[in-house]
Amino acid sequence: MVLLKKKGSRSAEIPTSSMADIAFLLLLFFLVATVIDVDTGIGLTLPEYLPPEEQEVVPLSKDRMAALLINENGDVLLNGEAIAIPQIKQNLIERIKSKIDLPANKKLVVSIKTDRKTNYNLYIQALDQVKGAYHEVWEEYSMANYGKKFDDLIPEESSLVREKIPISISIAEPEKI
Amino acid sequence: MKFEKKRATTKQEIPTASMPDIVFMLLLFFMVSTTLREVDVLVQFKLPEAEAIEKIENKRLISYIWVGNNGNIQLNDNLVKLEEVRPIMYSKRVQLPNVIVSLRVDKNSDMGIVTDIQQELRKADARRINYSAMLKQ
Repeated sequence: MVLLKKKGSRSAEIPTSSMADIAFLLLLFFLVATVIDVDTGIGLTLPEYLPPEEQEVVPLSKDRMAALLINENGDVLLNGEAIAIPQIKQNLIERIKSKIDLPANKKLVVSIKTDRKTNYNLYIQALDQVKGAYHEVWEEYSMANYGKKFDDLIPEESSLVREKIPISISIAEPEKI
Repeated sequence: MKFEKKRATTKQEIPTASMPDIVFMLLLFFMVSTTLREVDVLVQFKLPEAEAIEKIENKRLISYIWVGNNGNIQLNDNLVKLEEVRPIMYSKRVQLPNVIVSLRVDKNSDMGIVTDIQQELRKADARRINYSAMLKQ
């Protein structure tokens, strides 16, 4: 008997022709199952909750208070005077600027109050104006003091600016009806 | 004289050997730049538009509350009542102390429901909120 060595010509490669198809399937899965949108919005920190009997009224002097009142018909009052929403920004910018050099307990406080029937969109527009006013003052202050845009400041500088011009928006306690 | 057809000697196939690599690169890009969809939104809403908005950098901190155009409140995966907001948010806040609550409220809703939710959030001590809004064009 003759023992013959089998001359195998088996190929030792893994077939890769379908790899692309597999990868495309995976890709499609991730395209379908994920979201790419960025969340944008107006940030705010709510005040701590105190039960009504523990609440105390802190007196605020008239000149550091900017009271915004939006009623259900869409009329806006700033410190008792009727104002159009797009004018809020200009009005506040001057008041914020005049208080930059005052100590922290003398800075402007913006209080926003709405009725239960007020349109949410109006409230956001008003809040947007207030935020916009602060952002503009920040921008101007950092331009004047550091010669840079606010976004380009290093963290220490921007926190200094924030400290100098703090955003204090107070959401008025809702009234029981 | 003999006429002969000239035949092109170049190969006519597109090389596909590197196709998987390209696709894997695309795949990696999508895996890195997106986040997984976690919930189905059950309410209909249109966000308001604003100018002075900021991005929320860390998506993992966000917890959403939706308010639809018919006043439905959705939290996590299902519609809830107003009274259920507080316990759910409180347990979230315990798990994740610096949770940001993103309020995605329809722009035609009333402030009453927003105020109510805010009161519940204050009681649950989840006080960092964000009114979701689109950039005004």
